Amino acid sequence: MTTQMDEVWEKRTLGEVITSEKYYRWLLITPLLLTLAVFMLYPLFHCLYYSTQRYVPGRPDVFIGLENLRYVLARAEFWAALRINFQVIVVCIIIELVLGLAIALLWAREFRGQNVVRALCLLPLLVSPLVMSMIWAFIFQYDIGPINQLLLAAGLQQVNWITPGWALTSISLITSWQWLPFSIFVLFAGLRGLPRDIFEAAKVDGASPWYTFRRITLPSLMPLVLIIVLLRTMWLIRLFDPLYGTTRGGSGTQSLDWVVFRTSFAYFDMGVGSTMALISLYLTIILCAILFRYLMKALGATK
Amino acid sequence: MRIKAFLFWLVTVIIVFVFTAPLAWIFLTSIKSRPDILHVGIDKLFLFSPTLSNYQHLFQWTLFVRELGNTAIVAIASTVLVMVVSVPAAYSFSRYNTGGGHLLFVTISTRMFPGIVAAIPFFFAFSKLGLMDTHLGLTLLIFYFNMSFATFLLFGFFRDVPEELEQAAAIDGYGRLDVLRRVVFPLIMPGVAVTAVFCLVWSWNEFLYSVLFTKIVARTVSVGLALFWGSIEIQWGPMCAGASIAILPTLLAAWFMQRYIIRGLTFGAVKG
Repeated sequence: MTTQMDEVWEKRTLGEVITSEKYYRWLLITPLLLTLAVFMLYPLFHCLYYSTQRYVPGRPDVFIGLENLRYVLARAEFWAALRINFQVIVVCIIIELVLGLAIALLWAREFRGQNVVRALCLLPLLVSPLVMSMIWAFIFQYDIGPINQLLLAAGLQQVNWITPGWALTSISLITSWQWLPFSIFVLFAGLRGLPRDIFEAAKVDGASPWYTFRRITLPSLMPLVLIIVLLRTMWLIRLFDPLYGTTRGGSGTQSLDWVVFRTSFAYFDMGVGSTMALISLYLTIILCAILFRYLMKALGATK
Repeated sequence: MRIKAFLFWLVTVIIVFVFTAPLAWIFLTSIKSRPDILHVGIDKLFLFSPTLSNYQHLFQWTLFVRELGNTAIVAIASTVLVMVVSVPAAYSFSRYNTGGGHLLFVTISTRMFPGIVAAIPFFFAFSKLGLMDTHLGLTLLIFYFNMSFATFLLFGFFRDVPEELEQAAAIDGYGRLDVLRRVVFPLIMPGVAVTAVFCLVWSWNEFLYSVLFTKIVARTVSVGLALFWGSIEIQWGPMCAGASIAILPTLLAAWFMQRYIIRGLTFGAVKG
């Protein structure tokens, strides 16, 4: 297909040779390749190198092979962090999918003011997660936070939202609040894309609404659900900002990225930090490979 | 039917309230006096005498203005860099399938990587190169962070431009660069604009690299706001005043780009 373009252009000068099919596409992509070489390969090899070293600031590095990995895997803190990430991922995705689907179905019709309603609900998506988590920390505050004040006024018990029992739930709620619109509107786009005549046909055949939902709506939304699950999982593996604004890793909320952050930049144990960073990387790259296939399919591109 | 409509609106209003109330709460708190913020009891929750003292504090006693400037400089510089690299690359990927998909995968995977993976090596490198706490250092990191996302999103936009158009222009005697300039660019401009706004927003909100790689000179707004969270007390008032100003551009972006937000966040997979 693309060679047709070359038949039109005859090559004469050096400039035209460079812009010929063979070189042109690589010429266009050179800046990207250079960027990848500097910003991707360098950190990757650096991390690989340090994961095999014992690093103590001010002393020469010592090669210790896989000792760091063994140390990380033996540390309870690491497994606790993984469990926290896993817990937040499961809770957030369930909340976002269930509520997201419910709200998308609710709004999948024409109603007055629909554009304003939808625009208002999209607002949280682009707001800084760090700022939002700090505001939520205020809203959840024990004495002066509006939620507890209202609970008290309603004659209910105040809740200590940022304590070991509640902190993880609070953080899941905060992140879900910010990303629920994402699920709503992805699923909403899916619902709007469904062909009307299938539903008409189902109605004519006397199918119950529940049956139609289970056998037609839900299966056709599955690819979108998968995209939501994959993207959210990848974003939540690097859970960091909401922690900084609320518990700062306290109350049993140290996520994987938080542990890497503390290990590397508070204790300056770069060897162990690099090892854990690499584990975090391996986890995401598997998910990313699956996601990529779906993205390409959705874009209608050939691989 | 009446009851059904009533329930629909009741639920809709509750949903809208849940999504907007925390945002409104920031603005509300920013115009409350310190005693009113720390007041226990619901009487001062919504009824209070507004004051601008928090904003006064913010501008007089903190580096907020400079932080705003820093954030803007880094956001704009990194976005320009991203566009310079991503637009040609995305064109090459979409037209010539350069690298047979593998290269595109490598590119997008860098966006998926945990940011902390790059943080450790660059902490070493920047210390050696003297790039700590500089605009250039942070710009480079955020450029890298946004580049893969921009390339992939643009890739989707370029795919929407029919190739036949380019071939027709080529047959009409346009050179390769003319095809790009006169045919492809006018069609791709909305896509480029949307991508650029996304990059600006991500850059504006970026926190991990900012907190690790800036101290005072190049400190950004998010890092400055986090500083109100002191070890002795949390200065809610000035923090909310700062947050009100800091989230304003992103709220505007969300309002004006609503058609494209879902497309952007799903890397172009869902057209929204």
